[in-house]
Amino acid sequence: MEKYRIFDNELEKLTERVVKMSHLVEEQISNAILALNNYDIELAKHVIENDNKVDKLDVKIDKLCQKIFALQQPVATDLRYIISSLKINNDLERIGDHAVNIAKRIDALSDYTNFSKEFGVDEVANKTVLLYKDVDQLIKTHNLVLASDIFQNAIIIKDSCHKISEKIIEEMMQQKEVIVVATNIMIIVNLIERIASYSTNVAESIIFVVEGKIVKHQKKIEEEID
Amino acid sequence: MKNLKIHTENMYLYYGSKMALNNVSIEIPENKVTALIGPSGCGKSTFLRSLNRMNDLIDSVKIEGNIFIDDINIYDKNIDVVNLRKKVGMVFQKSNPFAKSIFENVAYGPRINGINNNNELTEIVEKSLQNAAIWDEVKDRLHDSALGLSGGQQQRLCIARTLAVNPEVILMDEPASALDPISTSKIEELIVQLKENYTIVIVTHNMQQAARISDDTAFFYLGELIEFGKTKKIFTNPDKKQTEDYITGRFG
Repeated sequence: MEKYRIFDNELEKLTERVVKMSHLVEEQISNAILALNNYDIELAKHVIENDNKVDKLDVKIDKLCQKIFALQQPVATDLRYIISSLKINNDLERIGDHAVNIAKRIDALSDYTNFSKEFGVDEVANKTVLLYKDVDQLIKTHNLVLASDIFQNAIIIKDSCHKISEKIIEEMMQQKEVIVVATNIMIIVNLIERIASYSTNVAESIIFVVEGKIVKHQKKIEEEID
Repeated sequence: MKNLKIHTENMYLYYGSKMALNNVSIEIPENKVTALIGPSGCGKSTFLRSLNRMNDLIDSVKIEGNIFIDDINIYDKNIDVVNLRKKVGMVFQKSNPFAKSIFENVAYGPRINGINNNNELTEIVEKSLQNAAIWDEVKDRLHDSALGLSGGQQQRLCIARTLAVNPEVILMDEPASALDPISTSKIEELIVQLKENYTIVIVTHNMQQAARISDDTAFFYLGELIEFGKTKKIFTNPDKKQTEDYITGRFG
């Protein structure tokens, strides 16, 4: 029984840390997108400074998972939970990095503050904030209905991102003076697309915890088998 | 398609009026390691012992249902139990070498089976000790007492003794539970090597050991076979909650 208690304490600690990480990342994305939409340089700086907190927590979660693997030798749901926590932690840290990378580009847009809005970047960015709110809830609740919402919404976001990028390229071909700002916007759009992609990774990891199924790359694998 | 070595159909076992195995049907493949796990008193050792009719030695035992090895019902009236136990060898929790030399321990089985030619016996002893991964440690002291060997060596000697009568199935009842980690790891490596030529069924309380060495795992509880499947599936995503609770240490 002793093992059970210590082990469960460790698992609770892990859950607390992953949930905290998710909150931090949610704050980072929300602020980065708010800074983007309002061209708020101060808020962008705040996001960049806060990355440190995300990184520190990332390392703490990694270390705790290592400790649990080494000392508790988890199996079954526990094993899947810890494997997934490691992967989710990694994905959240990447999402956090992308929020910071968005924040770092905002300063370069200041001469063309309407450029982003013209192409609907604010709209897709807001959708990404909402997408991440679902990710945060999914991490807390393991409610798989949210996972399918995330998959669907991520596809919509990625699709919008590709369309925006195409339009921006057309614009750049016509107006050479916007190349610098347009490139920055393109990079931001690409970062938003990556956040959507990492969000689906998190949803896949939660499905693995709950159902033990590996759902990533399924479409590709099915096509290959066909 | 894997070959079946052992299978049981609706097997019940009673100690007097107490039911110890309740409707166990299982298919154990050839040349694989099958681990039997479950809490004390769940019936796993009883099940193991019924595979070479060791339970016949207990008067109150009554068995219903069928146990087949190579499609032969081993509880059939015509079965020669001595031959059955030659074919289905057993290694116990506590190593039990005879108070004889290392050589004589291994030669004992072949001798009582009528092999008396010294050259032949020497060959069998050497081969058995080699297959039990202990030859290099004992080859220069074959005529020393087996009781002078370490616990881990004694257990491998007992495995050699089992191999010497050329079995097809080896039953192991917690063979490494009394050994230190180095001896345990030698026994585990040996078990994995032996499955090339033998079908191995092992009872273990060590979950990690079952996970490390077995191909299939059967979880018993209160005399019932709760779940049987690929070890990698049982230890990552078992179907039954009872199995999950047991292997994660949350039982009860």
